[in-house]
Amino acid sequence: MSAQPVKISQYVPKILVIDDEKRIRNACRIVLEENGYNVLLATNGRQGLEQINANHFDIILLDLMMPALSGFEVLTAIKKKHPDTVVIIITGYATLEYSVEAMKQGAFDFIPKPFTPDHLRVTVAKAIEHTRTLRDISDAHSRIRTMVNSLTDGVMCTNHQNHVVLANPTFLRMNGYITKSVVGCHIKDFLKFPKLREMIHQALQMDGRTYSELSTEIDLASYSADDHRVLNARCLPFKDREGKNIGVITVLNDITALKQMDRMKSDFVSTVSHEIQGPMTAVMMQLKVILDGLAGEVTAKQKKMLSRALDKISSLSGMASELLDLARIESGLISQERERLDLGQIVKEQVALHLPKAQEANHELIVRLEDDLPPILAHRRNIEEVLSNLIINAIKYTPGQGRIRIVAERSEAYLLMCVEDNGMGIQEDQRKQVFKRFYRVKNKQTRFIHGTGLGLAIVKSIVESHQGHITLQSEPGKGAVFSVFLPIFPIDEKKIELNR
Amino acid sequence: MTDKQLILVVDDDPDLVESISMKLESQNYRVDKAYDGVEAFAHIQNEKPDLVILDVMMPRKNGYQLCDELKKSGNYSDIVIVLLTAVADAVASTNYTHLDGKSTLADDYIPKPIDLDNLMQIVHDHLE
Repeated sequence: MSAQPVKISQYVPKILVIDDEKRIRNACRIVLEENGYNVLLATNGRQGLEQINANHFDIILLDLMMPALSGFEVLTAIKKKHPDTVVIIITGYATLEYSVEAMKQGAFDFIPKPFTPDHLRVTVAKAIEHTRTLRDISDAHSRIRTMVNSLTDGVMCTNHQNHVVLANPTFLRMNGYITKSVVGCHIKDFLKFPKLREMIHQALQMDGRTYSELSTEIDLASYSADDHRVLNARCLPFKDREGKNIGVITVLNDITALKQMDRMKSDFVSTVSHEIQGPMTAVMMQLKVILDGLAGEVTAKQKKMLSRALDKISSLSGMASELLDLARIESGLISQERERLDLGQIVKEQVALHLPKAQEANHELIVRLEDDLPPILAHRRNIEEVLSNLIINAIKYTPGQGRIRIVAERSEAYLLMCVEDNGMGIQEDQRKQVFKRFYRVKNKQTRFIHGTGLGLAIVKSIVESHQGHITLQSEPGKGAVFSVFLPIFPIDEKKIELNR
Repeated sequence: MTDKQLILVVDDDPDLVESISMKLESQNYRVDKAYDGVEAFAHIQNEKPDLVILDVMMPRKNGYQLCDELKKSGNYSDIVIVLLTAVADAVASTNYTHLDGKSTLADDYIPKPIDLDNLMQIVHDHLE
């Protein structure tokens, strides 16, 4: 079977010819039926109107000069009752005056008598094309309307003046405004969340070339004490052909259940963390106290064994906290508060934090920040974690006296942050693997480097949850470059707090 | 040479309290021990310590509550408080985080697992 374009329906256009001249009626029927149209005939205006009232016609060919009811009267009646029906005038008096008058009254086109079959065909085909386009638009509208209205997410579309073009029932219900239609209203007149009004306004101002979506959380408890729902709101601007924003789609999503699960997961994580870390901490300290000789003399042999035990427990405890970090980050990623951040500042802080370790290994730490770095919209602790992990890795996997460079600069719609070292590097076949959980590069060089294999997995999931991406370039023996791309916060000028 | 400074160690895990105490004693501090917030407050009323090493998650009265009470009281607000926090920070909705620790009136905080040498350094710095 050959592929065919998808047709919603096999539609045969219906045409009515109203003319008192039998010759014309029959000529029309023969020509049009040849083209596959369904053609019906009427001998005068009254009969024509009866048929029109009984059936839908796509096109009506109408003679202007008829006894009893004139073509103009029929035209008026049709336009009054069926404004979408296309009427083509047939007139023996091919005067401009009549034709112009008929067109003014809503006729689509006119054919002067006498006409050739080709002339008729072309005119009718043009009219059919016109009705088909209208039908397609109306079908598409109907499909979209039904789709949007049946969504369990709230959807609203506003135009460039922040007037409502469309709002589905879910949206109205979430906004607590069910009875009246809001189409045509300005958002300030009915939208009850100030934060959302501000965000729609912002979305409209955004540069269409950057990644453009704003999101926030709305806690309904702050509007009504007994409402415990939490909504996630997203605003996406849409563009015209020139790429200019002409309106905003706002989507509301009830995340109450997700938030509850998130909370349960967090509580679980914190309980487990306490239950696991608590005893391990106690054991570590007991070992330490014994090792320090506070509980009596310790022989060299005992000291050696206890030291190894302490090391094992320390790394176990480290692994437990990283595992919990991962669980925590994954649970927090569902939705979290983000703020406008100055990455340059964070880079400086993190570098200062890790400088002692770098100096211990005699590494040179170089920071290069582009002037006037644009802000990003992100979770502060997460971004600190990304940088911290990458810097720690660079320090750990570079033999002494290395050079570690941290660069932050603009890269189109992204902020690019690179952590580059001249250390041992990563083999090609391992470059993808290093982002997997628990994966660690194992060779002679890395044998004595402690780690859990979770750092880069955490980094990757954080970066991706911020709509960013991370890449790795490396040449074994020469070093590695981790490049993190994070979307730039779209509005440079206004300092607006998006979060509570 | 002044009298030895008094440090109150509060944690619901006796093993932990014992280890910290032994280390502190070896550093020439006097040590008092308590195993929950209520007991700790009674000890403080009995003899005012110079510094309290205070766990956060404890039965009866947790570390935050006790810290808050002491810091807002007239008599005890000058006692140095070092909080021990067990939970990874920034967990979206939990109560016991480093961030919460930072927002309390405590003078310092140290995450678990505790590095004893680091804890000694902090104690020493505050009591200098």
